[in-house]
Amino acid sequence: MESLLHFARGPLFRFCLMIMLLGLARILFLDLWEAYRAYRRAGDKKMPWRLIVRRSLEWAFPVKRVSRNPQLYSIASILFHIGLIVVPVFLFAHIGLWKKAVGISWPALPFRWALWLTISTMCFAAVLLIERLFVKSIHSLSRGQDYFWLVLLLFPFITGFVCANLNISAGLYRFLMLVHVLSGDLIFLLIPFTKIAHCVLAPFSQIVDALAWKFPPATDQEIVETLYRFK
Amino acid sequence: MNRVHNTKIVLWLITGLAAAIALNRFVFGLGATTNLNDEVPWGFWIGFKLSWVALSAGGFVIGAIFYMMKREKFHSLVRIAILTAFLGYSSFVVSLIFDLGLPWNIWHMIIYWNPHSPLFEVGWCVMLYTTVLVLELLPVPLESTSRYAAVRKFLLKFRFPIVLLGIMLSTLHQSSLGTLFLIMPRRLFPLFYSHIIPIEFFISAIAGGLLMLAFETLALHWMYRRKLETDLVRLLCSLSVWILGLYFLVKIGDVVLEGKVGLLFEGSWRSYLYVGELLLSTVIPFVMFVVPKWCANRKVQWIGTSIGILGVVLNRIDIGGFAMRDATLWYTPSWMEVVLSIGILSTAALVFIFLIETFHVWDIQPRDPEALAHTPPLFDRVSGAWLGNPKTSALTRHTLAFVISFAIGMALISGKKLHAEGIENVTVRPASGIDTLCINGNRDSQYVEFPHQAHIGWMRNGKISSMTLDSIHYVLRTGADSCLVCHHLNLPGEKLSICWECHTSMYSEVDFFRHDWHASSSGANLKCDDCHTPGETRTAQTARKCTGCHPSYTFADTAGNGADAYFIPSYVDAMHKLCVSCHTIESRVLKDKPNLALCSTCHRTGTPPGLRAGMKWDVTLPRFDNVVLPTPVPGVK
Repeated sequence: MESLLHFARGPLFRFCLMIMLLGLARILFLDLWEAYRAYRRAGDKKMPWRLIVRRSLEWAFPVKRVSRNPQLYSIASILFHIGLIVVPVFLFAHIGLWKKAVGISWPALPFRWALWLTISTMCFAAVLLIERLFVKSIHSLSRGQDYFWLVLLLFPFITGFVCANLNISAGLYRFLMLVHVLSGDLIFLLIPFTKIAHCVLAPFSQIVDALAWKFPPATDQEIVETLYRFK
Repeated sequence: MNRVHNTKIVLWLITGLAAAIALNRFVFGLGATTNLNDEVPWGFWIGFKLSWVALSAGGFVIGAIFYMMKREKFHSLVRIAILTAFLGYSSFVVSLIFDLGLPWNIWHMIIYWNPHSPLFEVGWCVMLYTTVLVLELLPVPLESTSRYAAVRKFLLKFRFPIVLLGIMLSTLHQSSLGTLFLIMPRRLFPLFYSHIIPIEFFISAIAGGLLMLAFETLALHWMYRRKLETDLVRLLCSLSVWILGLYFLVKIGDVVLEGKVGLLFEGSWRSYLYVGELLLSTVIPFVMFVVPKWCANRKVQWIGTSIGILGVVLNRIDIGGFAMRDATLWYTPSWMEVVLSIGILSTAALVFIFLIETFHVWDIQPRDPEALAHTPPLFDRVSGAWLGNPKTSALTRHTLAFVISFAIGMALISGKKLHAEGIENVTVRPASGIDTLCINGNRDSQYVEFPHQAHIGWMRNGKISSMTLDSIHYVLRTGADSCLVCHHLNLPGEKLSICWECHTSMYSEVDFFRHDWHASSSGANLKCDDCHTPGETRTAQTARKCTGCHPSYTFADTAGNGADAYFIPSYVDAMHKLCVSCHTIESRVLKDKPNLALCSTCHRTGTPPGLRAGMKWDVTLPRFDNVVLPTPVPGVK
């Protein structure tokens, strides 16, 4: 198990991390490339920039949006996101690993903060899962991916919590650590190819949304022709 | 099967892998990427890139044949040849950036001249010839726009002098790349070393350039499924026969006239290397192409050109680093060197394909089969989404290939090499406490408690007694040597120098004598002869002892060494050496203390008791870097 753990936090981790970083850069590039092409072809080149910026900011800090949506779900979602990002990035132990591997470090979260944020993230994930399962309006919007991701994201949090805070035997510690690292690797690997890609695409979603309504000149004719051809 | 697409995917995969290694090279250096060392500083790495220059020679050869000898048959090859030359030279320059220790100083050659160096000439020629190639090539992309018509017209007007300049520069540096090795008769194996090595390089480059062009033509026709211009390839091959024959004669003539025939049959791997290289680069392609019927056969053309190119590449690699005179100077190139070199080539190939698909380089501009009007649209296999127009869909797939192979490259790079950032220099902090010392040199959460007076008492009386610190002075005054067991060397004027005063670094050895300080004018300002006997070899053993100048130095166990022991162990090593050796002996003697030599007997994890109140939070919780120490046997102290 020791060698497996070594592999999972060494080569496998590097592979998954690179897939995530470059994969996200890739989809961002492709997204902007297509947006640029759409803009170039657009008949009407006027873009409602002010509206785009306002909407983007509104969705980045969805305070205004909370009241309009199912409230509990929105609040749980926001708090879930905070823990999800802050804990892995600012955990003391994770920073230590970075420092050991490549020599870079940044300020860490106090241990107790990390502890409570982990607990809160797990609780809010449970809330989100329950709502997705049992609230009709949310359930009807959920896909398989949404449930899968919630469960998958819980794995590293639970195992990390147990390893860091509970007095467990060395064998169980190693096993849980392996699960922790492997699930983390899997998350990294899947991020650029699933809905989690919104972590880089979200800021530009409003631009794409606005561009989608800008049809190139003579599009109607082309659509008619295409439909006729495939009839 | 879409050959164009598959070829591009393979090239993108190699490029991705090489990009990961390129990152590794720039972040962690040449040592972490290559197996090169001070004795074999060139090796495969340089030899391989020298061959790119050789294989780019087609640019000037075809230029000479077409523009100067007016052979119209070669018209369709001119642009391809110049593009190949341009990409070959560009790859060479790019690879130099990976190869130079301080790549940001690459421009120094332009300002700081060293006209005595062959590399100076090579550098300037490569730089100028690459510029010439750009000027030769520029009219091609300018064709597609009318905006720069004047520039294009100007360049075309001066085409002949530009081509002439290109031929001159190529002739100069193709041979002077060989001149580089003229200055190493003592390094190169005699079979490979020759006084006419510049001429050999020049001739082999011409042959290599022609074979490369033939190979490229074959490959392009295969890729785009065109009907092959067999006649043109045959022409190139039959032309190279003459050059190959000449090259063979020059090589054999050199071996015979210089009296090196015996070495050919020496039976060593270097002689095999030479014979193998001669067979590949001259004999086999010569035999294949000398018969006109064979020369027109496509299979023979494929095999012959491939073997010939391999031979030229092998020649450059051998001379670059494999064929050393000293057989012990062998090195195996690391996989990263090989992949990075091939990666630069694959990037060049991608640029080549892009340019021939975008501009009118080839006689008939090829197009990606997927971009043709009748090609059905492509869909993602997993999500079923349309991949977009041909350009976007190609980009989607190619970038995916790049990302995956880049990630594989990062995974394959040895974790150990990633850590190779040298030793972190941690300065030792003195122990705290008075009677019971808390030794924590790097001030982390691990420390050692050292009951000082108990140790003194034990050493003084052979058992633990209640001797106080005050009695140390008594011990020192009365000349008892028990203190000197640990305080084995005292600084001038001191009688109780503390460990950290000399062992100043936590993990690395320290130069406690400080030779440079003693010799420098701002330090002790001593002349060499003040310590070293004139006429004798200047070593530590023959030098004057420390006590010669510092009579108040007191040596205990290092007395015999004196100034020999310039380097003293790190704090950690010194402590372990001092404590563990005694503890090990005592744990065997003292039956009631079997745990005496265990790590956990001395090492404590957490906050020292006296400091706990001042800490903001308790750090005794399990931590990633905590050492889990063995538990002592219960009930036994």
